Parts: sequence; structure tokens; C-alpha cells
Amino acid sequence: MTGANGTALSATGLHTFYGKSHILHGVSLEVAAGRITTLLGRNGAGKTTTLRSLIGLTPAREGRITIFGQETTRWPSFRVAALGVGYVPEGRRIFPNLSVEENLKVPLERSGPWSIARIYDLFPRLHERRHNRGRQLSGGEQQMLAIARALLVNPRLLMLDEPSQGLAPLVVREMFRIVEQMRSEGISVLLVEQNARMSLAIADHAYVLDDGAIVYSGPAKALAADEERVQALAGAGAGEWQADDSPLNGLSERYRNA
Amino acid sequence: MSSLVILNVANGVVTGAFFVLMALGLSLILNLSGIINFAHGGFLALGGYIAFALSKYVGFLGALLLAPFLAAILGLAIEWTLIRRLYGRDPLYSLLLTFGLAFIFQDGTRYLWGAQGLPMAIPAFLAQPISDSLFFVTRYRLFNLAIVALIVALLFVLLRHTRFGIRIRAGTLDLETVAALGVNVRLLRSFNFGVGILLAGLGGVLAAGQFRLDPTMGDDYLMPSFIAIIVGGVGSLGGTVLGGLLIGIATGVTTVYLPSASEAVMYVMMAVVLLIRPRGLFGEEGMMS
Repeated sequence: MTGANGTALSATGLHTFYGKSHILHGVSLEVAAGRITTLLGRNGAGKTTTLRSLIGLTPAREGRITIFGQETTRWPSFRVAALGVGYVPEGRRIFPNLSVEENLKVPLERSGPWSIARIYDLFPRLHERRHNRGRQLSGGEQQMLAIARALLVNPRLLMLDEPSQGLAPLVVREMFRIVEQMRSEGISVLLVEQNARMSLAIADHAYVLDDGAIVYSGPAKALAADEERVQALAGAGAGEWQADDSPLNGLSERYRNA
Repeated sequence: MSSLVILNVANGVVTGAFFVLMALGLSLILNLSGIINFAHGGFLALGGYIAFALSKYVGFLGALLLAPFLAAILGLAIEWTLIRRLYGRDPLYSLLLTFGLAFIFQDGTRYLWGAQGLPMAIPAFLAQPISDSLFFVTRYRLFNLAIVALIVALLFVLLRHTRFGIRIRAGTLDLETVAALGVNVRLLRSFNFGVGILLAGLGGVLAAGQFRLDPTMGDDYLMPSFIAIIVGGVGSLGGTVLGGLLIGIATGVTTVYLPSASEAVMYVMMAVVLLIRPRGLFGEEGMMS
């Protein structure tokens, strides 16, 4: 069930504060059902705060959030997630004291196609490491686990907060491939990223956030064509890597099947 | 001499088992909700008194089964109405609240059942000594140990092998992420609180059979249980079990050689452990691992 016009999520006029500091100044955005929407912006633009407001971890003081036709503005995060919203937090937030398998048993069991067995099919590496503690995993493995954990909620909407952060280039490519795959599974995706080039390559729609306000909204392709703007967003060469000159090439084998 | 030591080690283990029950409940509540429950001793006494009232109708064993659950239900009611309002606030608020609750429990039991101690009848077969040579150890003490061992084992199974337990362990480190994964963390905290109180209530019934009922009986266990948690390492339930037993034994043995120091010994133990391992014996950053 989606809202009007095939909208998975719509937010209007969000104002969010941390204590007294005013972070979001009337952010409005929409995530179309079955599409990838990317939210780009510099460090500190308010991207993470936007996601935290949407999932209910840092409730917006003003504004309105509708997810799958339900107004969720004042809901606690567990109710929002239970609607079918998977959340991959910034910095992964793996439970370091739990094994991989235990990490996968934390999410609410919503009915749907995803089970731990299917997760292990998609991420064989997690199956291999299922008895290892979260803290023993590499950054790439932790990111896979964070995505796997969110998928186990059987989400209709997946929100990812900088999933490529701190990962080796080839793992980043793998990660984006998985996000693309989620769209073909029919999951609506809201992807917050610093890696503008790669996000725009897979996204349908793009927003750019600056100083807590949306400064661009349009088709991802149109933004990708605006070289100057992408350059400015990408900052100091983020997303500028090429797989072939990566010194970490050898690592890719480990993740190819992931 | 040596049989006296054995007697006191045995006594210490049994006393330590009460500390273990108390400390595990305190630890669960502290780790997940950040509440230092000063009313925990009050819940222990309440478990004992509820069992006392029930035992007229259902016998000691029936009361042993029922009373901890009734204490837990009362605990849940208090968590729902009072304690949950203080989650995430300055710990001072919950300290004040639970301190106040402890006094209310104490005076409540005094009002209902009187200030003087009451004997709790235990079944005749449990009151007998284990054997002629071990005449100083009653079967009841062994029974206590067996029950505590069983409950500790069940608790560990719960925490390791059920989703509920796994979510509690995850929540001790990062409750926010547990909530963002769709888990109703309000219920999780309530049930966790209930389990903690259940353990205290059970401790109360067992202690009432061992000693007697007294409105302040919980006070004798509260401080040693806090120390058990610190010695074992905050966040480590295995450490809490070990800490409780160690303190029980240390107190028991000191009673033989230096009776006047039998209470001080646990503070000395705590100081020594903290000097050598500031996080306690099994304390580590990954709590409840």
C-alpha cells in the first residue's frame, strides 16, 4: 500500500533541532515508490539529521511526515520501522558484543521475503562469519551486516545513511550494486551519500541539501550531467576513484559474491 | 577447624547465591535502562512476604512458584506508572525515586505484617540435614543452591538463545538502533525490569525460608549485590555471578577468623579488584557479551 501518486514517503517543512541549534530549516522531500532517491550534500549539511527525523530518532519540531499513507510525524522510531522502513544508520552501528547471527536476530520479524537464510544467500560472507562478533568484522562486512539487518525488517522503504563511508573502492561498488538490486526487489530507497557520482549513477531522483535546506530537486540524470555542480558536491575527489588503479584490488574477491 | 571452614564456605556459597539473584536483577535493569534500583531490596522482602501470605493456602513450594511472579507484576506496574518516566534523564531522579520506593516498601510491609521478624515454614523434608557427617548443612541449603543454579542457567539461555534476550543484550549498548530496527523498546525495558524483579522476589522467598521474614531483610543483600556487580565487572552477567559467590564466600570465611571484619571484607575486595582491574573481573566495553 502506498500513498497518493505512488509515493512511499513524503516530508514537508521539517524543522529539526539538536538542543538549541536549528539544523533543518523546512526540509521537504518525497521518495517515489519503487525508486531510488538520493539525498546529497556536504558534510554537516543536515543529511543524517534528515534521516533521523524521518525514522523518528530525532523528531522534527515542526513539519509533517507521511510514510505509506500514514502520518508518522510524532511516532517513536520502532513504530515507524514496523511500518516497513529499514534503516541503515551512519557508521553502521553494528552491535559489537553480538555475533553476526545474533545481530541478524535483533530486528523485528515482519513477514515478507527476507529471512536469515536468504540473507546468507545474498551475503555468503556473513554466513562464513556468522559466529564472529560484530567488532571482529571488517568495515565492508559491517556495512553488509547493517544492510542485512535492515532487510530483515522486510522493508518497503530502505533508508541508508552513507553506506559507502570508509569502505575500500571495490567494496563501495559492490555496495551500490546491492542498493540497485533492492530497487529491482520493489523496495523504495532513500540513499544519503557523499559519493555523488556513484549515487547519481543509480538514482532516479536527486535532492541536494545545504545548510539544512533543499537547494536542488530534480532527476538524477540531469544533476549528473551538471559537471560543475557534481564537482562541488563531490568535494575533495570523493567518488573520483577508478577500480583499476585501486591498490586494494585484491580485496574485491572477498566481496564479489557478497 | 577445617570442618568449621567448610561450614563457613558452604554458608558463604549459599549467602552468595542470594547475592547472585539480587545482583543479576540489579544488573539487568542497570544495563538496559540505566536505573540504579535502590528499591530492589524492597522487592526482595516483598517476594518473601507475598510467599508468607500465600503459603497458608498453597504451601511453601506453591508460594515459591507464585510469589516471584506476583512481585514481578507489582514491579511492572511500578515501572509503567513511575520508573519509565525517568528513562534517559539524569540518574539522580531514578535514585531519588527508587530510594523513596524502598522506604515505602519497608513501611508498607511493617504496616501489614508487623515490625518483628516472622518465621517462614519450609517443608519438613527440606529442614533435615544432608547426612549425619554433614549435620550442619540442611537440605534446604542445597535446595537453595539448586534453584539458584537452575534460574541462572535459564537466564543465560534466555539471553543467549531467544530473540528477546538477544535484543536485551543489543540494547545494553545501543538501544536507539534496536528501536530503529522496529523493536518495541518500551516493552523490552518493561519485560527486562519484570525479569529483574522476578529474580529479587525469588531471592526473597528463598531467604525467608533460610532465615526469617523481616521488613528490612532486603537491606542485607542490597549493598553486597552492588559490590558483586562492581567486582564482577559492570555489564558482565557471568562476572556478576562470580562476584556474588566470591563475596558470599569471603564473608563466610572471614566470619571464622576475624568476625568483626566480616562486613568490611567485601569493601576491601572491591578496592583490591578495582586497583588491579578498574573495570572489574570481567568488565569490558562490550557489555553483556
